[in-house]
Formats: sequence, structure tokens, C-alpha cells
Amino acid sequence: MRKWPYLVVTGFAILAQAAPVPAVLTAKCAACHSEKTKASDFVVTDAASIRKGGKKHGMAVVGGHPEKSPLLLMMKGEMSPRMPLGGELTAEEIASVEAWVKAMPDERQQAKAEWRWPYEKPVKPAIPAIPDAKLAKSAVDHFVLAKLNAAHVPPAPPASKRTLARRVYFDLIGLPPSPSELDTFLSDNSDKAYEKLIEKLLADPRYGERWGRHWLDLVRYGETSGLEGDGAIGNAWRYRDWVVDAFNKDLPYDKFVVQQLAGADEHSKTRNNYQPDVQGHVPLGFLRLAPWDRSNLVADEVRQNYLSEVTATTSSVFLGLTLGCARCHDHKYDPIPQKDFYRFQAFFNAIQVENVDVPYKDEAFKERAEARIKDLQTRLKEGPEKKALEKMETDLMPRFREGRRTAAAARPVNMEDLRLEMRRKDTALFTLAERQRHAQLREDADRTLDAEEKKALDDFEAPMLKRFKEAHEKDPASLAKRFDVLSVEELRSEINRQTSKIFTAAERDKFRELSETLDTYRRRIGRWQPNALTVKNVSGPPNGPFIAPTRLLVRGDYRQPGEEVEAGFPTAIAGKAEPAVIEQDRYRQYPTRGWRLTLGKWIANKDNPLTARVMANRIWQHHFGTGIVATPSDFGINGERPTHPELLDWLSHEFIESGWSVKAMHRLIMNSATYRQTSENPAAAKDSENKLISRFPRRRLQAEEIRDGILYLSNRLNPEQGGPSVFPALPADLADFARYGRGGAAMWETNDSEADMRRRSIYTFQRRSMPLPMMAAFDAPVFSESCDRRSATTTPLQALSLMNGNLIHEESQHLAALIAKEAGDAKPSQIRTAFQRILHRAPTPAETDRFASFPGSLDALCRVLLNSNEFLFVE
Amino acid sequence: MSIRSRRNFLNSSWIGLGGLALQDMLSAADAPLSLKPAHIPAKAKRCIFLFMEGGVSQMDLFDYKPALVKLAGKQMPKAEGTVGEIATFSAAPNRVIPPVAPMRQHGQSGRYITDLMPHLAKQVDELAFVHGIKVDNNHHGPAVYHTLTGNQFPGSASIGAWVTYGLGTENQDLPGFVVLGDPRGSTIGGNGVWGNGYLPAAYQGTLFRNGDTPIVDLHRPGNITAKQQREELDLLKWMNEKHSAARSNTGDLDGRIATYELAFRMQSKAPELVDVKSESEATRQMYGLDDPMTESFGRQCLLARRMVERGVRYVLALHGAGGDRWDDHGDVAGRVPKHCKEVDKPVAGLLADLKARGLLDETLVVWASEMGRTPFDNNLVTDKPGRDHNQYGLCMWMAGGGVKAGATYGETDELSVRAAGNPIPLRDVHATLLRLLGLDQDRLTYLHAGRYKKLTDIGGSVIKQIIA
Repeated sequence: MRKWPYLVVTGFAILAQAAPVPAVLTAKCAACHSEKTKASDFVVTDAASIRKGGKKHGMAVVGGHPEKSPLLLMMKGEMSPRMPLGGELTAEEIASVEAWVKAMPDERQQAKAEWRWPYEKPVKPAIPAIPDAKLAKSAVDHFVLAKLNAAHVPPAPPASKRTLARRVYFDLIGLPPSPSELDTFLSDNSDKAYEKLIEKLLADPRYGERWGRHWLDLVRYGETSGLEGDGAIGNAWRYRDWVVDAFNKDLPYDKFVVQQLAGADEHSKTRNNYQPDVQGHVPLGFLRLAPWDRSNLVADEVRQNYLSEVTATTSSVFLGLTLGCARCHDHKYDPIPQKDFYRFQAFFNAIQVENVDVPYKDEAFKERAEARIKDLQTRLKEGPEKKALEKMETDLMPRFREGRRTAAAARPVNMEDLRLEMRRKDTALFTLAERQRHAQLREDADRTLDAEEKKALDDFEAPMLKRFKEAHEKDPASLAKRFDVLSVEELRSEINRQTSKIFTAAERDKFRELSETLDTYRRRIGRWQPNALTVKNVSGPPNGPFIAPTRLLVRGDYRQPGEEVEAGFPTAIAGKAEPAVIEQDRYRQYPTRGWRLTLGKWIANKDNPLTARVMANRIWQHHFGTGIVATPSDFGINGERPTHPELLDWLSHEFIESGWSVKAMHRLIMNSATYRQTSENPAAAKDSENKLISRFPRRRLQAEEIRDGILYLSNRLNPEQGGPSVFPALPADLADFARYGRGGAAMWETNDSEADMRRRSIYTFQRRSMPLPMMAAFDAPVFSESCDRRSATTTPLQALSLMNGNLIHEESQHLAALIAKEAGDAKPSQIRTAFQRILHRAPTPAETDRFASFPGSLDALCRVLLNSNEFLFVE
Repeated sequence: MSIRSRRNFLNSSWIGLGGLALQDMLSAADAPLSLKPAHIPAKAKRCIFLFMEGGVSQMDLFDYKPALVKLAGKQMPKAEGTVGEIATFSAAPNRVIPPVAPMRQHGQSGRYITDLMPHLAKQVDELAFVHGIKVDNNHHGPAVYHTLTGNQFPGSASIGAWVTYGLGTENQDLPGFVVLGDPRGSTIGGNGVWGNGYLPAAYQGTLFRNGDTPIVDLHRPGNITAKQQREELDLLKWMNEKHSAARSNTGDLDGRIATYELAFRMQSKAPELVDVKSESEATRQMYGLDDPMTESFGRQCLLARRMVERGVRYVLALHGAGGDRWDDHGDVAGRVPKHCKEVDKPVAGLLADLKARGLLDETLVVWASEMGRTPFDNNLVTDKPGRDHNQYGLCMWMAGGGVKAGATYGETDELSVRAAGNPIPLRDVHATLLRLLGLDQDRLTYLHAGRYKKLTDIGGSVIKQIIA
């Protein structure tokens, strides 16, 4: 059997072999740093305790590296305070410690060689025997109870049905049970009631919205570039809907992986000219979701940043491997040479970043989209805003022309006057040939901004201006007609000018509002069109040009290419550094189509030691708040050690044997007694961190659960699924910050209908520069990097948003109306209904009394319950 | 009352008076902002970071280059040692633009400062300049992220988040990291530039707006009185305490109870905090609050002082938004004087005021932008020359706690394109800022995605030349 604490054991074993502790430490430091005195928790008894260090600086010694060891830095005064306090050390004394540290092995290098677990294929462990088998409901419990038993800690008692209902609903669909759903469950006294509930919720389409969101965190889902104006990167929502759907239909995880890496790359080993299904482009959105620096003009750098990001994210998401740390140098902790980073990156080398039209497969959705597009096009063409804007333009045009005319009268003739006259078809001053020549020169100069082009224009205009001036002096009146050529475009730019003397600020604001509305319609049409955020391949020979090989980049710098590398798998897992055998179509017509496919199939393989473990761990993590490996995207040395390694190995085998079914994993975990414990276990004081899983951990609801849950309770959650993202109202206070500067572009939009603002949070537009303040306050910003664990912080901003925000106030009113309708006017009855609906239990007599004496309205009463820890936490 | 005790009084009385400070109610793990010891003894305890968005034209303000006057209107010589756009643009037919206003020597240090900054010129001996800083990207979005978070891509923790993570904050009743936004609009990077990135959300910057509602959702809706809300909160507290009493390991639950009390007190106290009417007329004038041109940034600077005085650890004051940024591709001659006017008196006022109150010694003031600008015209507005972005020519200054006043580090070439010697990477400035606040860049780390992340990524060199 594998030994889990292997690393630790060997680590100390190494130290035990090291030379004895230098005498000076015992002589001059032990007064304060003995087992008894323990100043700063630092003890100089032996090599191990010295290495471990104190509470202030952590490890006091880095083997082989005196220059990195706080112990020596403090003895030398390079780190304050100089030690020993008030004492002095001689140079010889310091040298003796220095030599001792130098001779110590470097634990980091040692550890790198020894932490082999993640890279070795798990062997399915036997299910451990436990003394009291009655406590177990499934094999999962055997693993957990065996450890509890060994630590002499009893498990927590089973949770009540009411507690379980709340737990399971939030866990699987991210929403509380409705009153009737709760009743159904509570009144079902059969043995299978709980299992039936799990099945019901796994079949509920809202399940995909909850579990899809976990996945979106991981793949850094956002819909904008994050940079320079933060424009949309394409219809990312197609990917989002694919994820929701994949979870709902329990797409086997191996397929789920391959499709995100190589969805449109399938090919036939037997047929020539095989055309892959275009739908495969949608999951490839995974490769496009990161912030995208499209403004940078240094093309090589943009490309390399893109490839690096995709490489790092792919390996951390699917493999729990921090390959990204090896971009610039060999991984400092894990056995990943720098070359492996570029060998991995090489699989992505044929990516062409380009969006693709992918028709909607779902007929109903297709009709919905087409209807929306048609409606928006009509609005653009002849809707009220369009008409109002046109009317404004028509109405303002005479004033605009007159304004320019008046302004011109007050100044000497200049080039602008000439240029207007030149545009007049009926000018008497210039010939058609001259006008055409002028138009061409202007266009060239404006287009190129080139000094030579500009000179040609200047040379041409100079004599013309002279002619104009002469004519103008003789007869200014006949030339006044030139202002009639001023166009609608010129009017628009005038009205948009802050400093316009012709138009008022009110006119400018109205004009801008109308124009922005029309722009919104245009953007919205784009969002409904069946274009997907995705990638393609460049073809390479025989059909296309040779593709430059991938090279290792010295220090990760795109300007310092090093040796050429071929696509290959991480050596730590594959055990060798040979190039991967790329899967090819029979006639080798599409060689690049096999690159990402080969990688995808290697990852989504039962022989890969990490893939199944990593995903099984993530599923466990979302049920229990913490994974068996608490650092779910890092199984390496810096990650946490698994608390129940055999259980994780067992789960990963079950996962593969179930046909990579995520839902099978939910069943396995949720039907266990471990999952069904209460959150309180007075007998488990020893297990304060719950590493033994001696209770079900209480957790605060996540931002989405809070927002969606409140809307759901007030019966106002719009259940519509899928489609382009929507824009819930921003707090009014924020409106002026939701723009890139005065007159700048708006960061937020309006919706087609009010009900769109009440969709589930997963459907809100994910603008990287403008997360909804409430969501950000509750630890759900729009992610720019892969997020494997959300934090659950406690800040006064959260309290403010739930005391004063729009959401809580609107919805508490609606909820109060519902309750009043159901419970009538009697206060005790209202209180009972409010408790039932929000907390899923009846009030105690003390609560009824206290709430009855509360002078506030029923809305206020609802707000109190919605703000209560009992609502905001799940146990 | 001595300055120190006055400040202590403010710290303890601000919101905390009449109620328990949040800190008292929470264990260390649940009070992420509780005070933490500095790594290295430091004079500066707080930081005010003045960020001029858009790319300040260093050669028009602080970087004196007589050659620009000589070459004015002539073809720009090719800039050596640059890549990307600067290399391309400087090779194109581009004319050199001289400084938009005369520059003169000031103070004992004899530093050149533009005539457009007469007030700051009087404070010149307080400042330590760094010239020729190189940013990783020549575009606003990534460059703003790089300057404010150490990484050109969104997702990393901002400087303010790092500093509050490292040191906690002195006043538990106020956010540790406050952002004073330009009322004209958001930065080009949006809220991410003051985000917590991979650090816990407690370290994110809190945006304070000018006006009556400094914090989002601070105010009760109009139909609810303070008394009514108090009654709601009393009931909530009763409910929550009962809930908590029946449970164990209640740090998370109790923390939440405490935040409601704090939030309630904030509602009445925060408007007071941002109400600058209580300041003397002389103080208000010092910051330029009496002039519409300087009123806006003057208010931000004055608020910055009020914040640090009350123990806020890190204040980020933003100037420039949208079309009003320092992004002067056209009409430098018209626009630079306007930007300068907007900030000159407020910044000088801030330095003088901090000094008069004995706060400057303990407060680090930083002036920064996301990039410098080119000495040559970018031909975008042909009749009114303007300057392009220049990621090689950023100039920053620091003043206050621990800074070697009057010092200069780094030098640009004769046309102020790039550093004359080795370029100074931005991470060196970040490392220096941390050091001045008593933080060691290598020890201020956070394990994320397999790496001990740090603000300076691969590590910068502390610029000892500007440290006293």
C-alpha cells in the first residue's frame, strides 16, 4: 500500500542524517528558543524543529541555501531583528551555522523527486472494513468511517429531513425547495424518499445551471476582452449553454473534455474528405474565454500570450497540474521541465482564432432567435427610437447649417470653406474634374494619414483656396450655399461634441441616448445570430503553408526562441519525453486536425492518472465545500495533501467504470451517510478543521444562490433558459461610473424586457470591467483567471447590499404580497408562512412572540428573514 | 491634543465609538483586515497612490530635455533599443514636438518642473523621481493593469489589495483600501484595477464616490427611516444570536452579525467622512476647492488625507476618464496645460497639508501613470500635434515616509524616449513601494495556481537610491 505521508517521513529522515546542530545555536539561542521557552514558537532543539521555524517567518532554514534561510539572515542582521537579541555572534559562529545549512540537502529538490503520487495511475483500493457497518450507507462511508474510527472520533448524527431538503436543493439546483416540494418530501415516509429526491433534482434542468456555473468558474468564463474598452469577445453564451446542457444530459466526462479541446476535429480513419460536425465548434469556446489583448500591435507577443494562457489553463483545469509555472523556467516544485510547457503548447500551435457560424440545432430556440432578430431589425429600421432620431436630425439640420454659416461669417475664409464648396454639385467655381480630383486626394490623405499624401492635397488645395477667396471677396452671398452640403454625419459629430456652440447639452444627451439605444439593438442582433466564439485550425501542408514549429522560449520571452520542440505529453506522467503520435485521417489531408484531438484523447483516458481523480475531487469539493485534495487545480507539491487518498482513488475508478458519469458520482456521494450527517458534532472537537469529515460543513450561500434564491422565493425568478446574456439593473448610485468617461461608451445595457433582469445569475452578462457590485461583494466577480475555489468572505458591503439594495427591497415587497395572500391579515399566520417559505420550518413560540411584537411591515419582516444567517447558510 | 493622539482618537472614534469594533468580535481568521506586523521596520504606514490615467507626457512635465527644443519640428531620429510600435512610429516621418511650456529649475534640488505646475514646483524638494520606467505593454488597458496590479492581464491582485493583505488596516471600521474615482467615469480597466484578484475579496478596493452616496447601497431606500431599519436589525440580531448560540465554531456566523452593526454605523458616519465642509476655508483653498477646474481632484486629494488620517491603509485616487484622460494624441499644447491645472494645486495642497499635520512622514505619496509619451507627433490630429504612447518613458515620483526627498533615479536618453542605461522595469517600482511600507516583496506571497504569487512576479530590485 502506498504511504501518504511519504514526503514528510522522508523529509525528516533526511534531517536526521544531517550533521548535528551547531553548538552555537544551543549555547546562544536556546535560552529563548527551547522547548520550554519557545519564543515565537521557534525551538532550536534539533534539525527538524529548526527547519520548521517559528510562527513569524515559517521555515527558518532552506537546505543548501544559507542566503535564503531566515535563521542566517537574522543572525547577520539582514533581517530584523538581529538575533540573538542583545547578543553578538562571532564571524566563526555564524560561519559554522552557514556551513551546516549549506551541507543540508535541499528539501525542495528532494521533495520534487519523491512526490510521485499524482503521476502514478491509481490502483483501485479495497473497501476498508469498519467495526460498525450499520453506520455506513455506501462504500464512501467505509473510507470515511475507517479514518474516523482510527482517530476515535464518532461521525455526526444524521441530519433531519428538513435540513437535508434545503442542503440537497441548494447543492443540486442552487435554489431552495418550494413549499409544495418540501411538503412532498417531508410527507414521503418511504425508505426511498431521499433517493427519489436526488433523482428528481438530477433530472431537473436547473441542475445544469447550478453545476454548469461551477464549471464556468474554472474555465474563467467572461464575455468581454477585459482590456482596452472591454469589448465583447463574441457569443460566449453559446459555450455557456453548451456547458449547462452537457451537465443536464450527463455528457460523459471524457467526451466533455475532448469536445472542449478538439470538438470540431473529429476525423475518419477510413473516409477521405470527412467533414466534422460544425456543432463541435461551440465547446471550443473553452479555448477563447480568457481576457484577450486585441489592442496590442506586437503580433508575436499577443499570439504567445494566448498560447501560454491556453496551455496553463488546460493543464490546471483538466489535470490539476500547474504547467503554467514552467513557462519561464523549470517548475520550481513539481517535476515539470520548462520544455514540457512548450511540448504541451505545441498541440495548440495550429489554432486559428476565428469565430464560426454554428446553426441552432434546437428548432424552438432557432425560431425564438429569428423572431428576436426580426423584431430588432424592425426596431432599427422604423422603431420609435429610429424615428425620433431621424426627426431630430431633420429638425436640427437647418440650425446646424445656419450655425456653421454664422460661425463662418465671423472668421476669415479657411480650408473648411473650400472643402464645402468643392462638395457642391452645382458649384460654379470648380469643374467636375477638379472636384473629383480633390475628393480623391482628400480620401487618400485621410485614409493614410501619410505626410506625402497630405502634401499632395495641400499642393492641390492651395491655388484652389486662393480662387475661392477671390470669388468670396467679390460675392460672398452666392457662396453661402456651400453649407447646404453639410451632411447628417457632420451633424452627428457636431452634436456629440462637448463644446458645441450650436447644440445644447440637453439635445446632445437626448441624441446620445437614442443613438445608444440603436447601437444596443445592433449589438443584440449580433448576440442572437448563430455565431459561436471558437477556434479553427490552419491546415498546414498539403493544403496550406508550412506551420512554424514551436520553440522553447528562453525565460518565456517571445523574442528569445530556443530549441525546437514537438508536441508531447508531460514527462512526469508519460514517463518519457518522446513526441506524441498524432492521430491522422487516412489520407493525411488534414494533419492539424489531429493535434488537439490527440491531446484531448490522452487527457480523457482511463489510463491518465490525473484526469478522473481531478474531476472526482472537484465533484466532491462542490458537495462538501472542500475537496479531498483541498487545492483542486494543484495536485503537485505545493498543493494540499489528500485527506482521504484511498477514497479519492476509489472514486476515480468508480467514475471511469460508470462511463465517466458525473451524475453517477452525485448519487454515490449524496446517498452516503457521510453526506447526510448534521453540521454539528460535539464529540468531534479534535477534528476542528473537519479534515476527517466528522460533520457536514456549514457553508454560506454563494452569490448566485443568494440572488437567485431571493428572486425564487418572491416567485419572480424568470425561469427562461439559455440564450444571450441579460443585464440586471445596476445600483442607481453606480450609473455615472458605468461609463468610460464623460461621453464614453456605456458599460451596461438595457434589456428587451423587464423580465430579463430577473433571469438566473448564470445568464447575466459577464463584463470583466463591471461585475455586478452585489455579486462581487459576495465573492463572485467576473473571472479573468481560472477559479478553482471561491472564497466566502464577510464584509460590511455584503450587509449594505442586503439591507439597502434594489433587489432585497423589490423582492421583499413581492414576497410579502405572496405571504399576505396566502396567510391573510393575521400576524401569527403571516409569521408562520414567512418562516415556512424562507426558512422551511415553523417558528418557535418565542419567535412568534418576538416577531409579533416587531413593529415593522411584512416586507421588513421578510427582509429580516432573508438576511438571517439561517437563510444565508446551508447546513 | 497632539497630532498622534488626535489620530488615535479619530481611529477609535470613527464609527467604533458607541459600539464594538469589528476586530474585537472576530478571531484573526475571520478578521482578514486585522493588523499584521511589517516585515521590515518602515516609516511609511500608509500610501496614497495618485494615478493619472492616459499616459502622462513626461517631457512636458518633469523630464527636462533641451534637445527637444533644438529639434522642434524636425524629423524624429530613429529611437534605438525599442521594439513594437515605438520602433515603428519613430522610424516613420514624425516631427519632434517641443515641451508645451517652459521648464524651470526649482528648490534646493534644482529640478526642472514645467511652468504648468507652479504649486507642485514649490514642493519639489519633497519629491524623489524615477525616470525611464518600462511598462510591459504600449496600450492603455494592459498598461493600466500592469501599473496597478503588476500584471498586464486582468485577474491579479492590485497593489492596494497586496498592501492591505500584508499589513491589515488600522481602522477596522473603514475599508482598508479605498478608491477615490474620477467622477467623470471609470478607468479603462474597470473595477479590476483595484480588485483583489486571487486574494480573498476582503482585500478589494472599495470605491468611494463624490457626493452624498459615497458607497454603493450605503443609503436606505427613501421609504425607510433609520428607526425602522434599527428595528429590523435588532430583530435580525436577536434571530442570529439565537441561531449562533445553538451552534459551534461560529466565527463565520458571528462575523456576519458584526458586519450588520458596522454597516449600520457606516450609513451615518460615511457621509460625514466625505463631507469636506467641516474643513477650514484655508484648507479647502489649499486643495483648490474654490476653483471649478481644481475642485474635483482637490476633493479627491482632501478625501485621501481624511482617509489616511483615520487609518485607511491604502488610497487610490484616480484622475482622468474617457476623453478627459491624459491621452493626448492631439493638441498637447491645449490639453496638457488643462490636465496640469486640474491636478497641480490639489496635489501640492495634499503634500503641504500632510506635512503640516505631521502625516507626511508616515504616508507614502506616489504619482504614477500607465505609460509615458513620445517626443514626436503621431500625426493623428494634423493641425494640432499630439504625442503617442510610450511604454519606455514612464516617469513616476514618490514623496513622504521613507523617501529620500530630492533624489532622482534613472535617466532617459536625450529625447526622453527610453532609459539611457538599463530600463527600469515597473516591478522595481512596485518592490520599492512595498519596501517603503515595510513589506518584503519575496515574503508577501499568496499560493495560487501552484505558485507563490507576488506583486512583482519574478521579483524586482528595490530602488535604494530613492530611499532615505
